[in-house]
Amino acid sequence: MSRTSRVTAEAGAAWRTFLRRRTAVFFTFGFPLILVAIFGIIVQANPAGGGLFGHPTSFYVPGYLAVIVLFTPLSRIGSAFARYRDGNRFQKLSTTPATSREWLAAHTLVNIAIIILASTVVLGVLELLVDGTIGLSPLLLLFIILAVVVFCGLGAILGRITDSQDGVVAASNAIALPLVFLSETFVMPERLPTWFRPVIGLSPLTYFSRGVRKVTYLGQPAWSDLLVLAMFAALVFILGASAVPQE
Amino acid sequence: MPPAVLAESISKRYDDTVALDDVSIDVDGGEIFALVGPNGSGKTTLVEALTGTTTPDSGSVSIFGESPTSVEDGRVGLLPQSFTPPERLTARELVTYYQGLYDDQQRGDDVLAAVGMETEDDTWYTNLSGGQQRRICVGITLVNDPDLLFLDEPTTGIDPAGRQSLWSLIDDLSAGGTTIFLTTHYMKEAQQLADRVALLDDGTIVEVGPPTDLIESYGGGTHLLVETETSPEQLSVLEADVEPTEDGIRILDVATADIGRIVGQLDTQGVTYETLTWADPSLEDVYLSLTDERIDENRPSREPMTAGGRSR
Repeated sequence: MSRTSRVTAEAGAAWRTFLRRRTAVFFTFGFPLILVAIFGIIVQANPAGGGLFGHPTSFYVPGYLAVIVLFTPLSRIGSAFARYRDGNRFQKLSTTPATSREWLAAHTLVNIAIIILASTVVLGVLELLVDGTIGLSPLLLLFIILAVVVFCGLGAILGRITDSQDGVVAASNAIALPLVFLSETFVMPERLPTWFRPVIGLSPLTYFSRGVRKVTYLGQPAWSDLLVLAMFAALVFILGASAVPQE
Repeated sequence: MPPAVLAESISKRYDDTVALDDVSIDVDGGEIFALVGPNGSGKTTLVEALTGTTTPDSGSVSIFGESPTSVEDGRVGLLPQSFTPPERLTARELVTYYQGLYDDQQRGDDVLAAVGMETEDDTWYTNLSGGQQRRICVGITLVNDPDLLFLDEPTTGIDPAGRQSLWSLIDDLSAGGTTIFLTTHYMKEAQQLADRVALLDDGTIVEVGPPTDLIESYGGGTHLLVETETSPEQLSVLEADVEPTEDGIRILDVATADIGRIVGQLDTQGVTYETLTWADPSLEDVYLSLTDERIDENRPSREPMTAGGRSR
């Protein structure tokens, strides 16, 4: 039995389990849609009027996608980690050939599938709102996949640090909320204090936002952002896998 | 052939708590070995040390002659304490999931049949009864057809019917040649299932041996338990040794032929009682006897009293 088979077995179990939690499915797809409804339809962008949404709606596509690639993996992996720990499933897994990297890879794959689906739904709704002006490219898919890898790794680290599902939720919210507003998603750097702007470069979500904006709004090449995001993904995945108990 | 399990002088501390203190055990192939002890006595830590999921601070462990982390994965199965698999998978899906983690697997149908879950294979884990849940958890540990099975408190929290059903399953597995290392705090479980029992208290092995030998050595004789408010000191006419219990008194060394005489003497003295229970000594008596000795090492011993309050 190969590593691929073990990852497939773990991912298959995680996928089925997700689909059978109706509330989880509803809110996983409903949350980004609610966000689009609030900021895209009710609040609306006002390109001529300044304020928080002083650009066209399609300018904020990276923000909507950032919410999905950030919140969902962070909370889902963190919660899965807590469930595995509480149910002594890690102890059981440690007596099988499965490794911590395989466990994280399997759960990351499930999150990639879920988030590609959720992103597709959100992009579809946004395309309707902006009359099809969002630039779509295969690069967009790569950005989404790499961002999910980053935040799945971070979710595993949070799962290790916190000692309960409640703790994971609180910690992921505490990390995700600042990140989503300080990573060039909805709030641009010029609205932040000068001294704070270098900090933005430390957030992997910044490279996701910049790259996705270049692809979907500016129509510019985004390889440099993709490369930085890929390096973040590799690093955080390794750290996340080392957080998964294996002894 | 090396023993299935060999632990030599292993110790483990968690900060200031001594979880295991110089523990040595050996388990032969095909044996059912039960480790009994109260909650917090170190049973789970010992299982973790034997399965390589924790590393002892000192001492050595081998499984089939190899270190726990080097032994072939397919040879060992573990059911951790309070194990809960993904609850919204069916029994069959759970077996398939865990099969997928191993190189060599038993057929899913064979696993389900071995744990008597063929007819409930399409039911979500969360909708199974407590006994069925534990059976499928044992099934999960069988997917790799292990030679050695660690079951850490497999019957905790399930009803008597579920427990009986699991005992029967463990017996069947043992009859098929699987070595079983079982931890429990149910003495009756260990007495009924195990070829040998190790009594663990405060991280130390107190005694090891076949249940019958332990009972013969430490269990005392047959006795009559009397649920009464009368104290041993008030039983002046009783021609037997008596000791107090939580609910009344224990009259020691009472053969079945003596029961009528003893009851007559109680009636003569006007002793009122709720129940009378005649009992063989059990592993529980052994455990209480041995652990009481350890607990009472630094305080006056609780000597049995003869009728009328005389110390034996």
